Amino acid sequence: MPSTSPPQTQTKKKRRERTRNLLPFWLILPTVLVLLAIQVYPAIYTIWLSLHERQPAGWEYVGVNNFTRLFNMGIFAESAGHTVVFLVGYTSLTLVLGFIIALLLNRKLKLSGLYVTLLFIPWIIADIIVGIVFRLLVVPDYGLLSGILQNPAIFPPNGISVLTAARPPSWVGGFPFPPAAAMVYLIMASAWRALPFITLLLLAAMQTVSTEVVESSRMDGANGWQVVRHIMIPLMLPTLVVALFSLTLGGMNGVGMVFSLTGGGPGSATEVLSYLLYVLGWSQLNFGRAAALALLIAVINWILILGTLRVTRVEERTH
Amino acid sequence: MKRLWTILTFVLLFSFVLSACAVPAAPAPGGEAAAPTGPRDFITWYQYDEKNEDPASDERVGNQYLRDTIPQFNEAFAGTWNWVNQPKAWDRMNAELVAAVQAGGDVPDLFEMGSSGLTELYKNGALQDLSEWAQAQPWYADMDPNALQACTGPDGGLYCIPIAERPHLVYVWNDRFPEGFPTTPEEYLAAGERLKADGLYAMTFFGSTDFNGNGATRAVFMTFSSFGGGYDDGAGNMLLNTPENVAAVEFLRTMVQSGYVPEIAFAGGFQEEEAFKDASAGSFPTGLFGYRYVNPLTAPNGTEYSKGNEEDMLDAIAAGDVILRPFVAPEGQTPGCNNEVTGFGIPVGAKTPEAAHDYINWIMTPVQNADWVLRPGAGFPALMTTRASEQFQTPFYQQAGEVVAASACRPWHGSLERRPEALRLIMGAVYRLIKEDPTADIAAVLQATQDEYNAGN
Amino acid sequence: MFGISRRQWNTWLVNLALVVICFFALIPVATTVLISFKGERDIIRKPPNFFPCDTPERAFDPAACRWSVEGYQRVLSPKPSEGGLLPFALTGNIVRIYIPNSFLYAISTALIVVFLAGMSGYAFSRYRFRGRSALLFAILAITGVPLLTNLLALYQMGVTIRRAQLPFYDDRLFLIAVYTGFFLPLSVWIAKGFFDAIPRELEEAAVIDGCSPFSALLRISMPLALPGLMAIFLLTFVNVWNEFIAGYLLIARNELKPAMFGLYEFLGQNIINLQVIAAACILIALPIVILFVFARRSFFAAMVEGAIKG
Repeated sequence: MPSTSPPQTQTKKKRRERTRNLLPFWLILPTVLVLLAIQVYPAIYTIWLSLHERQPAGWEYVGVNNFTRLFNMGIFAESAGHTVVFLVGYTSLTLVLGFIIALLLNRKLKLSGLYVTLLFIPWIIADIIVGIVFRLLVVPDYGLLSGILQNPAIFPPNGISVLTAARPPSWVGGFPFPPAAAMVYLIMASAWRALPFITLLLLAAMQTVSTEVVESSRMDGANGWQVVRHIMIPLMLPTLVVALFSLTLGGMNGVGMVFSLTGGGPGSATEVLSYLLYVLGWSQLNFGRAAALALLIAVINWILILGTLRVTRVEERTH
Repeated sequence: MKRLWTILTFVLLFSFVLSACAVPAAPAPGGEAAAPTGPRDFITWYQYDEKNEDPASDERVGNQYLRDTIPQFNEAFAGTWNWVNQPKAWDRMNAELVAAVQAGGDVPDLFEMGSSGLTELYKNGALQDLSEWAQAQPWYADMDPNALQACTGPDGGLYCIPIAERPHLVYVWNDRFPEGFPTTPEEYLAAGERLKADGLYAMTFFGSTDFNGNGATRAVFMTFSSFGGGYDDGAGNMLLNTPENVAAVEFLRTMVQSGYVPEIAFAGGFQEEEAFKDASAGSFPTGLFGYRYVNPLTAPNGTEYSKGNEEDMLDAIAAGDVILRPFVAPEGQTPGCNNEVTGFGIPVGAKTPEAAHDYINWIMTPVQNADWVLRPGAGFPALMTTRASEQFQTPFYQQAGEVVAASACRPWHGSLERRPEALRLIMGAVYRLIKEDPTADIAAVLQATQDEYNAGN
Repeated sequence: MFGISRRQWNTWLVNLALVVICFFALIPVATTVLISFKGERDIIRKPPNFFPCDTPERAFDPAACRWSVEGYQRVLSPKPSEGGLLPFALTGNIVRIYIPNSFLYAISTALIVVFLAGMSGYAFSRYRFRGRSALLFAILAITGVPLLTNLLALYQMGVTIRRAQLPFYDDRLFLIAVYTGFFLPLSVWIAKGFFDAIPRELEEAAVIDGCSPFSALLRISMPLALPGLMAIFLLTFVNVWNEFIAGYLLIARNELKPAMFGLYEFLGQNIINLQVIAAACILIALPIVILFVFARRSFFAAMVEGAIKG
């Protein structure tokens, strides 16, 4: 449209400019309002809570008392140890298996679509249901796997009862390693659910590694492992880091699986920080101390989120 | 292809919009908008759900009780009150109540509560002091003073109305102990060895840390108190590291580590009951109320009690297959047990406390009182006249009465005030000592546990 | 040698490996289905038997299998009814109340999230304004606060609103708002990513042709972004359907419980009823699995976008 006619279009253009400047504001406003109400306000309230304790008459300001009491709880250090064991086991198992499956899928197969669909079903199932499903398998005496695991002939001397077997003695001064059978099982169940997602993520990254680079290095005599080690992993590094962070973030905060699979037991063998938060807040009604723990977890979460952002920024710049 | 996808998406989105608009219209808002005339709602929280007709539900006995009783109440108070029950999970009710009270939210007019949860509810400002009202009621003088004591808060107020007392005792398969159920720990261990040879177990008990350490109110406390120990020093401090308690833990540890207790005792939930149901475990120390849940039963001689409700255990007791006994105690000690009270609380902020008052008075009438105690209460009546009535002279209650008379029963918590925290700490320590780490130093772990609790005093 | 090259061998091996992996991936699902079709008699056996098909003579006799729908019967509790389409009505709480509730929550939340995330994602993608990246970052950072303690504040908020006795207000609306707040931040990032992928020249051309920016958004960008928005819709739907803890802690009345919470009713603690639990799990997970199988491409798109950007 040729714009030769004077003032009228001039004002129209200006008005358009103004709406154009205000448009993003109006577009974003509802989102910001919802988040202020549902996320920001409760977060501030959590900070307030962490400094108070409930007395019959009302809330009493106690300073950092909630934090010191939290740190003095025996179960706090223990849960932190469990969280570390869980996260290390969960992320490494998921990443290694995910990488292998992605490698297998990273070629032209007639049935790829079918495989991906089938492999993906675990991801779509709720964590609480996955916990129950895995629990059904190892219910002492009655679970299908218990029939095998508890058989002393197969697992001497007494068989393994996943949900009740005691923690083996610690190797390093109180640190919960080696973990209890229930912790191993919890890691397996969590990895089972997260695996499809990680596989897909890695597969997508793998497909961006150009086949020419791979082919030419093969021409140069590199074997399969060398290709993976020297070409694929370096090129996929940002995605691997993103996957690691996203697994850690999910593992740090997920409570459904522990809730329905082990309930933190046997003893406290699978009690992780997120579950401790649930227990402190909603079954011991100790909201102040729970809020203190929540803030600690939030700090860890923020570090992880920042890390993810950094890595993706770097990736965007290099591409 | 892309175009098809777009069209499909549109259709889908559109139908979603339609269905989203259609769904909320269907279930019209219920009771809240009720007209001001006619009977007013009387809202209760029970752990039972009268609408749940599943014959294999955990709470089948209580569910049926409410199904039977709600119409009776509504008839008795026709035109005045309309009883609306809101079912709550038993292990979440207190948390929900506290959250509701603190938020000024929808609280019931009355809820089912145990004396064990009293201090936590009190501390969170969730309970009304009922002493003034209760003292003016005719049934007050008829109450067992111990029951009233259990409902008394730290400030001396009465914070619950006791209806049933629930002592703990041992359910025993008679045939598993041909020489009679042991009375000393040594005999118990010997019986364990004998039963183990047949692939059986002497005892099953709530050994897991599940339900926030609720196991510490059950067999663990029975053992501690039978050995002469306990959980507190009488002045609000936790006291675990005593020679008596160490001996008690030593005994439990031997039972567990020698294989006299089935693995399922540690499985969580209430799965320890399974070992008693099929008689693979010869005895089961638990609450008197256990009879409501532990069914159906198969006796060692093959007799099946399979009605699947509270009558199974009562039948087995009447037939002599199951007997009730006090826990074992070392020479010179009286068997101990935990005794809690269950009854009603009225939360702060209840909309129609008058309805709750009418309801409590109604439950204090002889027929209703006995029915409540027999079914949801599952214990001894707190009203002495009800206790003397015919319904409580059955073989079950006679035996239970003898057991309680032969034991020294008291509330597990004693003077402890932060009870959920105490339970979790105690059960965690005991579990570690008897199951997880049989080499750990008992005195040291008990000391560390009491120190951690007392640091919060 | 036999006309099979090394490459073909490789393909066969890879296929074999993937079949084995798929098999293992589906074992827990398959056993749950298996358990759900057992009768109580076979559930409470010690030691357990994999298939309920043994006879005193043989360990496995296909003719003697005791398959049962007892678990489903207890979950659905069909009762004879007259006048309906079917000769019986399903009276189980799961199908009568909880699953319809979950549909309501999931669909409403997903629609709202798509709408809000679509708008703000577009704004973040197309405009450069002061505070843009700070806001984007804040939206992401806000997800770092653990849900569990937020729920206390949200609970109190819900109560306050309820006491105000607004017309039309209902606890369901509040739960939907909470879910919206939970799942919105990531969706904003995903939506921004999808809009980034649409060339902005198209809109600019439209604006030059006389469209207002807003109608350019509606007429050009939105249709192109629809697959992405659809992906957000599906992802949110699944997230809400699968969410447990918020519903568990915020919903007090039985009639408003979502399915995940309703599942809790079957986790019997005094009776070994694995078949009932299994049947309930399957009934609740089934709608989502079906949805996924039909719309998997959309899911994949949203997931990859969400993970890389968020």
